[in-house]
Amino acid sequence: MEKKPGLGLDLDRRSFLQVTAAAGAATAISGFPRVLRAAAPTIKIGSVQPVTGPLAVIGLGQRRAAQMAVEYINSRGGIKSMGGAKLELLLGDSQTSAEVGRSEADRLIKEGAKVIVGAFESGTGMAIATLCEQRGVPFLCDVATLDDITQKGYKYTFRIFPTSTTFAKRMIEFLRSIFEEKKVSPKRAVVSYVGDAFGKTQAAFFIKEFKASNLGMEIVEEISYPLGVPDLSAEVAKIKAAKPDVLFPICRPGDSTLLTRELFKQRVELMGIISPGSPGWYEPSVIKDLDKLIYYVMDNVPWVNPESPVYKEANELFLKNYNAYLETNNGYAYTGILVVADALERAKSTDPDKIVEAFKKTEFKDHPMVGEAIKFAPNGDNINATTAMIQILPDPDPLKRTKVVLPKKFAQAPFVFPAPQLWERG
Amino acid sequence: MNYQLLLQLAVQGVLLGGVYGLIAVGLSLIFGVMGVINFAHGPMMVLGMYIAYGILVLLGLDPYVSLLLVAAALFLLGYLVQATVVNRILDFPEAMQVLPLVATGLIIENAVLLGFGPDPRSPRTALGLATLHLGPVMIDVSRLMAFGLAVIITGVVFLFLKYSDIGKSIRAAADNRVGALLVGIRVDRVNNFSFGVGAATTGAAGALLLPLMATSPHLGHDFTMTAFVVVILGGLGSLPGALVGGLILGVAESVSTIMVPATMKQVVSFALLVAIMLFRPQGLFGGRA
Repeated sequence: MEKKPGLGLDLDRRSFLQVTAAAGAATAISGFPRVLRAAAPTIKIGSVQPVTGPLAVIGLGQRRAAQMAVEYINSRGGIKSMGGAKLELLLGDSQTSAEVGRSEADRLIKEGAKVIVGAFESGTGMAIATLCEQRGVPFLCDVATLDDITQKGYKYTFRIFPTSTTFAKRMIEFLRSIFEEKKVSPKRAVVSYVGDAFGKTQAAFFIKEFKASNLGMEIVEEISYPLGVPDLSAEVAKIKAAKPDVLFPICRPGDSTLLTRELFKQRVELMGIISPGSPGWYEPSVIKDLDKLIYYVMDNVPWVNPESPVYKEANELFLKNYNAYLETNNGYAYTGILVVADALERAKSTDPDKIVEAFKKTEFKDHPMVGEAIKFAPNGDNINATTAMIQILPDPDPLKRTKVVLPKKFAQAPFVFPAPQLWERG
Repeated sequence: MNYQLLLQLAVQGVLLGGVYGLIAVGLSLIFGVMGVINFAHGPMMVLGMYIAYGILVLLGLDPYVSLLLVAAALFLLGYLVQATVVNRILDFPEAMQVLPLVATGLIIENAVLLGFGPDPRSPRTALGLATLHLGPVMIDVSRLMAFGLAVIITGVVFLFLKYSDIGKSIRAAADNRVGALLVGIRVDRVNNFSFGVGAATTGAAGALLLPLMATSPHLGHDFTMTAFVVVILGGLGSLPGALVGGLILGVAESVSTIMVPATMKQVVSFALLVAIMLFRPQGLFGGRA
């Protein structure tokens, strides 16, 4: 074999390997580079999201947003109070299963994670909260709605996302203002929901608040189906037979597409589709696939604040890198890392109890979401977590179809209700 | 009782049942000939869905056209899986045959995940939203097409096995492997071919399902289970059994929605399975394969 001109060092592969191996061994023994590293140590944060399984599309978006937030913090000099310590994201995958999520969080703790962020899926959130309490590691739940997660008196768990109760209360407020503004009074409602921990609680809290409210509507049918269901034709036949005026669906990506297409095929007459708060309606892939059929769907979700400079910067980067925009879930995953960095900055230490103390004093307003500064109640819930009503409105660019319509303060467009029937859209 | 709803559900059940039948035909054929259970069956079907999806997006060919290409691709895959993996494990104890096929399924599933990403894909197809309205009953055209083609494909496979020379060799190898070897049948090639045909029908079923449901890489396992229930219901190794089993399961799942929430659908299918195991363990069309 002919020798290529090198750097003037006449090394063949074997002697190169010998030299580098010896150097590696020497540094390992002397610990020399460790001294260097001590100048800018890294702080490990464990992220557990459903990156595979039926919720993978959401989990992956969250992971990417969290990684982007970590890069953002590091590019601004890391954690300054700890000598510019850089953040490092350890990646875990719950595979959309609470047991796997728990063991992944445990693995990341063993690998040195000082804080765990994530969950998305409520069952997984509950499992990780319990684990973190046992291990004495702070857990910042970025997304998961199940009220119980912060009702167990755990001292290491904090949540920035709204609870199912908050979702339900906001939904009733929004419904009231929609019906009052448009002077309509729908009578019959059907609630459909996916039968996982999130769907069941989200539906139960909504139904409870709905019955307690005096909107003058009655829930005539409740329909549930399993996560990852491949076919909803029978369920939609049942919805049609119930003759609802409004459908309140609690979905996941995938079933929202099935549901809407079946509503179209079976010609189910509705004044509108309003989700009490669930994914499945604002993901770019869903919006592209459903096209006109998803127009006028409303969803009561914690949403990005279109006016926030933090949002604008992050959203631009997200669009450029992943051709998707910042929304509820990846937006909160992004926020989660910012909140953790803020707490570490004030804690000046990776000691779990100092981090917990810092979380308790959090008052973080430079975040990309709708709502006031993030502040934790004694139970760990963000007292200012809230939702907005979004609606998918016609626009030639699918990435610009999702608009905030309520509250008026944040509204980007007026809402449309009642909506034209699915099959009357040209 | 709401008879209009009942009728609607029954119609939908029959139509979906045809596709369940086609998925199960492949599993039944592979079991009938080789005596192995193809645990990679669901992932193979999902792969079929994705190939049809790719062809639709890249070439604009509707799944009803690309069906043949998908079947050909899956035939090749099935042939290769049999030639490289399954032929080696035919004489292993059953428990050991499970792992290589589960592994094959995992490889296919993750290859799809790698290639297409995790998002559920639900492309618009030509007939995707077309419906016929017969009085109070709505008939979904893509479901009707899927049903019709599933029945035709099952029929063709059945006739092929019954009357063609290769079909006869396949049946001979299934009936008595040693005997077939003695009369000079290249049993390993027959096996490769059978696995190929089994995979091809499954791929075709995937293409037929694409207009009906959102595909995602992890959809496969549920369909493996559905295919098991159908095959056991109809009788292991019986092709008409697979089709009838599919229809029964489709109708049972659909109509049961009136009584139980959809979250309990699997309870219905597995209750059917348990019942058939108790009262007719050889399946409805069982006996000898």
